[in-house]
Amino acid sequence: MKKFFAIALALVMALAMVACAKPADAPAAEEAAPAADAAKVVVFWYDESDVYLSSVRDAMNTEFAALGITPDNQFAANNQTTQLDQINTAIAGGADILVVNQVTSGASDTAEDIIAAAGDIPVVFFNRAIGVDGADVTVLENNASIAFIGTDAPAAGHMQGKMIGDYVVANYDAIDLNKDGVISYAMMKGDEANVEAIYRTQFGLEDANLVIEAAGKPALQYFDAANTDCYQVDQAGAWSAAAAKEYMDTNFVSYNEANGNMIELVICNNDGMAEGVIASLQEKGYNVDGAHVVPVFGVDATDNAKALIAEGAMTGTIKQDAQGMAAAVSQTVKAIVEGSAPVDAIAGLTDERFSIAPEVATKLYVAYAPYTGE
Amino acid sequence: MTNPIANLQRVSADYKTMDKKDKKRFWTDMILNNALYILMAIFIIYTAIEQPNFLTLGSFANLITQVAAYLPLALGIAGCIVLTGTDLSAGRVVGLTAAIAGVFMQKTDFANKMFANLPAINGWWIAATLLAVIAIGAVIGLVNGFFVAKFSLHPFIVTLSTQLITYGIILWFFALNGNNGQPISGLSAEYKNFVGGAMFRLGGVAVPRYVLYAVILTALMWFIWNKTTFGKNMFAVGSNAEAAKVSGVNVFLTTMLVHTLAGAMYGYAGFIEGVRAGSVAASTGLNAECDAIAACVIGGVSFVGGTGKISGIILGVFVLRIIFVALTMLGVDSSSLYIIKGAIILCACALDMRKYLVKK
Repeated sequence: MKKFFAIALALVMALAMVACAKPADAPAAEEAAPAADAAKVVVFWYDESDVYLSSVRDAMNTEFAALGITPDNQFAANNQTTQLDQINTAIAGGADILVVNQVTSGASDTAEDIIAAAGDIPVVFFNRAIGVDGADVTVLENNASIAFIGTDAPAAGHMQGKMIGDYVVANYDAIDLNKDGVISYAMMKGDEANVEAIYRTQFGLEDANLVIEAAGKPALQYFDAANTDCYQVDQAGAWSAAAAKEYMDTNFVSYNEANGNMIELVICNNDGMAEGVIASLQEKGYNVDGAHVVPVFGVDATDNAKALIAEGAMTGTIKQDAQGMAAAVSQTVKAIVEGSAPVDAIAGLTDERFSIAPEVATKLYVAYAPYTGE
Repeated sequence: MTNPIANLQRVSADYKTMDKKDKKRFWTDMILNNALYILMAIFIIYTAIEQPNFLTLGSFANLITQVAAYLPLALGIAGCIVLTGTDLSAGRVVGLTAAIAGVFMQKTDFANKMFANLPAINGWWIAATLLAVIAIGAVIGLVNGFFVAKFSLHPFIVTLSTQLITYGIILWFFALNGNNGQPISGLSAEYKNFVGGAMFRLGGVAVPRYVLYAVILTALMWFIWNKTTFGKNMFAVGSNAEAAKVSGVNVFLTTMLVHTLAGAMYGYAGFIEGVRAGSVAASTGLNAECDAIAACVIGGVSFVGGTGKISGIILGVFVLRIIFVALTMLGVDSSSLYIIKGAIILCACALDMRKYLVKK
């Protein structure tokens, strides 16, 4: 009996290997039939569980399929060395083009390493920045075989700030729960080291205050005077709803309506965190039908956020265009595998959602747009 | 046992004297005891057929480079497992030491240099940094070892605590000098070359220097485990601490030293990690201990304690990296990679336990 069990174990293991390996090579075989020159496109994602990037991936798979390309998606579980191992392995496996969503956002050295490893193989970076303060421009200028498709990092912050400012000016007295004439806010930051998170945290507040002060009202005030950072950050760097909810739950213990110091507005770096904040508010009886709504702002316009806005539980978000991002990446990849240089591939994109960065011709921005409901 | 040919002759002589039933058992035992090797062989052949690039020199260079990167951590953590313990702090120690090595090794003219007044990068400064991060790793290991040995706390609890404390220090470190949690970038060419400079090329793929360092470290660990009193004491404490104590082994000192040695290995791993990733972020090293522990148990370093071989650890790391490389090349998505990894760890340990139970 024991022996039988042991053999069964070994069999399960063997089956697991074969079963999991089978489906993946099936499309590869089909792909080889129609086009002999079918390019091997490998897409490296920083993490599998990111909500926004999951919608990009969904859209991108569809876009690629329409272009006759079957991408191979790899996930790095938020670990840069894992991603580099994957990249080196894909290069050894004969990849024709690398599409990279770099884990360490803003590290130009890491980008340089990836480009060096790739050699002649073109690399299309997307979404996560490959340098801060102009370092990305240098990387793009020095390497003709690469392109970057992303968003103008500060733009989302500026847009979110303006949206918040306009909303606060229009609804000042309704937001001010304790009627002290000052609106206290909380800020949820997605990742301590991410450029986008840093810009959104900075401009989301600064631009809101510009609008509010121009209207003759006092600036937003961080709810906890002891916290000089003026934000709470997901320490795992995962921009997660769970982290935001835990912070809000904790904040509620000392900052609530009974104490007269309730948080009156919440700014979040993304919609995932906004969802967490709203979940926490709803547990306490806010942001539900008929109750007071604490305005919560996010970025990304995920499906969940749109639903929350439709319900009235969330106030606004910035649409990070997943479809547009997917279209830009897949069309660029298609042009490059057909022989275009990255600079021509980028220049060949004609879509009002895209704009080429003024500093360098291989950097493409996909536009943001404010979203407060259909 | 030492002469493989004589050993084989003896086994074949034994085999001739067996009756039918014993012969059958002999084969099932042999298949089960070597199930992992047999499955890996099948797996490698399958991958090679599907993806011919898998069996090229370049692919081999890629594989040994990855093995060399993951080996030091596994070699360190293995000692803790031999003592029936574990070490959850390994990944964060790698993160901390990588960050410290990173700031010491930033280019002198780098705009966002965290500490502007560090000396120019030369051989001495690199050596000093290497020793410093090894020492920092060793100190954290020493703390682990002290609490385990002094208060008889389970290493799981002690290292869980130091893992959290170390992460706190990492976050604090990244916020220093207006760095604001930004990744540590601008690593100097000297440092990169010392760690990752190409020794030679295999099939067009560079083999970095840390492959050589990994070989040296492996030889060193083999010597410590097999040829020193400390190594023998470690196994004695691992199989039965009480018995070891009665026979005059200093259990307290041995436990402390095993953890300290492990910490030193993490420090070295951190020194390598920054160059491998090209920059160091606060999340560097996250969960690195999981792969290291998995490699050890796959390679037969048992949580039962007192058993394990350096060769087993190398095998374990190879198995994990082969799975990673092969599945990446086959284009299998990473969700299945996790499932397969989990299944292999489970099966390897179950089969290993079976050997242990039979022995008992």
